Amino acid sequence: MKIIAAIKERWVVWVWQHTPHCTEILRLASQSLEQPQSVRTRMKMRMHFLICVWCKRYDKQLKFLHQAAAHLDHQDIILPGHGLSAEARQRIVQNLKTADSKNL
Amino acid sequence: MQTDGDLNPSQTAQEAPGKPGLSDPERWVELHGDYLFKYALIRLRDPLKAEDAVQETFLAALKGGKSFQGRSAEKSWLVGVLKNKIYDHYRKSSRETSFTDLEFNSDEESDRFVPDGLFKDGWIHELGPLEWNTDDSTLDRAEFWKAFHDCSNKLPKNVAAVFNLREVDGVESKEICGLLSISEGNLWVMLHRARMALRRCLETNWFGKEKEAE
Repeated sequence: MKIIAAIKERWVVWVWQHTPHCTEILRLASQSLEQPQSVRTRMKMRMHFLICVWCKRYDKQLKFLHQAAAHLDHQDIILPGHGLSAEARQRIVQNLKTADSKNL
Repeated sequence: MQTDGDLNPSQTAQEAPGKPGLSDPERWVELHGDYLFKYALIRLRDPLKAEDAVQETFLAALKGGKSFQGRSAEKSWLVGVLKNKIYDHYRKSSRETSFTDLEFNSDEESDRFVPDGLFKDGWIHELGPLEWNTDDSTLDRAEFWKAFHDCSNKLPKNVAAVFNLREVDGVESKEICGLLSISEGNLWVMLHRARMALRRCLETNWFGKEKEAE
């Protein structure tokens, strides 16, 4: 068992030393939503994820938020009680009618 | 919805098909006012500016004098016009003062990373991201969207605008840079920090709470 633990530790350290550190991985995770990353970079990220569950989660969560955000406007439930006030409605209707009558 | 005020419902367009111009404003405001207003409010964060943008949108529709097959075509046309009004607003404000914000979250949560030693710049394990229990139903939950909205409202105005353009509206980086006159590098930095902050906020306010409840 000791030997396995020692091998594992060396493996983690080796990967750590051969892949970008977490702060850089987070930057890359965001950047991969902007443009495709090189094969080399993607490989390094994957390698890093093997030893770092936190960066792996972060990357997954960023992708989730990226997809979720696009649904924001389909949510009729968002901002309950933040619709147009009665006064605002009247103002708009009044202004539109004024503009309309000028056009006639 | 009890927001009709003093409007007389019998004046709606359905009952006055011969003369669309005069009765349309009421029908539009009734049918699309709330949606358009919220759409603008999320992006402009100012009720008065949002109201102006909605009114300008209806004015444009009035001038266009278009007729539509069905409500949803009408709605998407109005949203398209409103979107352009909002982008005009961004463009104008980017001319007045720079849109770039490199101050916000500039430490990039450095307090969560190991400061020195072999594992420098690695997560401090206890402070690393938690596992999120997301599934298809997450996006149907009102509480999720409330947390999402509250968190994105905590972003500074320009950072939020950039985030909304990119993530909510799905505009490509290059277009955003052109619209707001900012460099691609700076846009990426802003997006990175916005995502980081939003993720952290949601973890605390939505996923964290969910865990406690279990």
